[in-house]
Amino acid sequence: MAGAFILFMLISLFYLYVAVGSSWSLVARALLNSRILGALWVSVSAAFIVGALAIGVAIPTAYVLTYSEFRGKSLIETLLIEFPQTFPPATVGLVYLLMLGPGSPINIAYTYPAVIVAKLYVSAPFALSFTLRRFREIHGMGLDIIAESLGGKTRHVLLWVLIPLSTIDLLGGFSLTWARAMGEVAATLIFAGAIPWKTEIFPAVVYLTSQSEETKSLALAASLIAAVLSIVALMLFRWIVGRRR
Amino acid sequence: MSELRAENLSKSYGATKALDGVNLTVSPGEFLVVMGPSGCGKTTLLLTILGVLRADEGHVYIDGKDIDDLPIGERNIGYAPQDFGLFPHLSTYDNVAFGLRVRGFGRSEVDARVKALLSLVGLEGLEQRKPSELSGGQKQRVALARALAIDPCLLLLDEPLSNVDEATKAEVKANLRETMRRTGVTTVCVMHDPEDALELGDRIAVMYMGRVIQCGTPRELVENPGGEAVRRLLHHG
Repeated sequence: MAGAFILFMLISLFYLYVAVGSSWSLVARALLNSRILGALWVSVSAAFIVGALAIGVAIPTAYVLTYSEFRGKSLIETLLIEFPQTFPPATVGLVYLLMLGPGSPINIAYTYPAVIVAKLYVSAPFALSFTLRRFREIHGMGLDIIAESLGGKTRHVLLWVLIPLSTIDLLGGFSLTWARAMGEVAATLIFAGAIPWKTEIFPAVVYLTSQSEETKSLALAASLIAAVLSIVALMLFRWIVGRRR
Repeated sequence: MSELRAENLSKSYGATKALDGVNLTVSPGEFLVVMGPSGCGKTTLLLTILGVLRADEGHVYIDGKDIDDLPIGERNIGYAPQDFGLFPHLSTYDNVAFGLRVRGFGRSEVDARVKALLSLVGLEGLEQRKPSELSGGQKQRVALARALAIDPCLLLLDEPLSNVDEATKAEVKANLRETMRRTGVTTVCVMHDPEDALELGDRIAVMYMGRVIQCGTPRELVENPGGEAVRRLLHHG
């Protein structure tokens, strides 16, 4: 059973390798293609920014959710963590387009910030989920109470206890947020469009180039580049987490 | 040295009464051991005095001042939990220095006080060790030194010997007794082993089902146990 599942998960990547393998010059061509390079830049840079922003907002949010008791807390947690993962990304893009698009007081549609906003909504729950779980674990160990009894204020508990003891989880949360942001397409496409070197993300350029017979092979080569890039980045995150452990 | 007074403390978890009108006075410099079977409310009593839990009824006074509304950090109570609660990412030195640093002490003062405390508890040379590299007895001493570092008006120890192996228990106990004698800080210490309690406590408060059923010196308890529950506890722990 396990073998079958592993095969199922790996076969598409292997197929991609085989499909491109017949013509490696395609990969070189893809790497020199300005549109593909632009999409790679937008995707990778946006994923890093989204990862950093997600950790930045996850820390205070997880702190509040760990230490505050209020009515509707469970609902808020569901809306912040589980719901964004089930809410159709296309709908997310549409909502942002109506809320922050043409005709609204703040219009950021079809800009790089729109890419960030769309990806952040879809991806940030991973960072929050990791951070919250760890903060609650530390709270359960009573280390925050010790810090408080010694005279520690909120900033000491946060900066000297919670964050240092959560570095592995924060890195794990960053890594998954980054990965999700790399793969997100529908919300970004609807809210930010696909303007080369500005808002066109990698999955969009793969989809658009794959629609034409002439550029189909280019899309395939570009996909292999993206897959290799993601695997290298995720293995790097995993290695960093392993070293810290 | 401060006086602690718990007045009519009650605390319930749903239908279960963890504390049921506890009255207790601990004199300045006294080492009071709280003993009782599991679930009798010993730890709840400590956490209520510390300020983690709020009593449903009753009050806690330190030197006659009601501290019920004081946040944990402003009570100046040293606390060492059963599992020692050492910060796993910090060295022995940094664990002990924690309370001094958050209170804004200068580097040289922190250094002097940490070194004095580590010497007091006999941990010189282990400054750079992380908690994972320490034995149970050593962890207990770090926790004690850390709690004492803030110069507390009261010390709360929750089962300080329960995670110490038998081989080093006598040494840890001797160190604990000597440290308390030299610092003279008022202490409430939860223990389950009657032998340890009789050996260390100036007085012993016996708790049963959320109430203090007898409080006296070890001699008074041994010579005149107030009921079957106390007698059983003294003989079987």
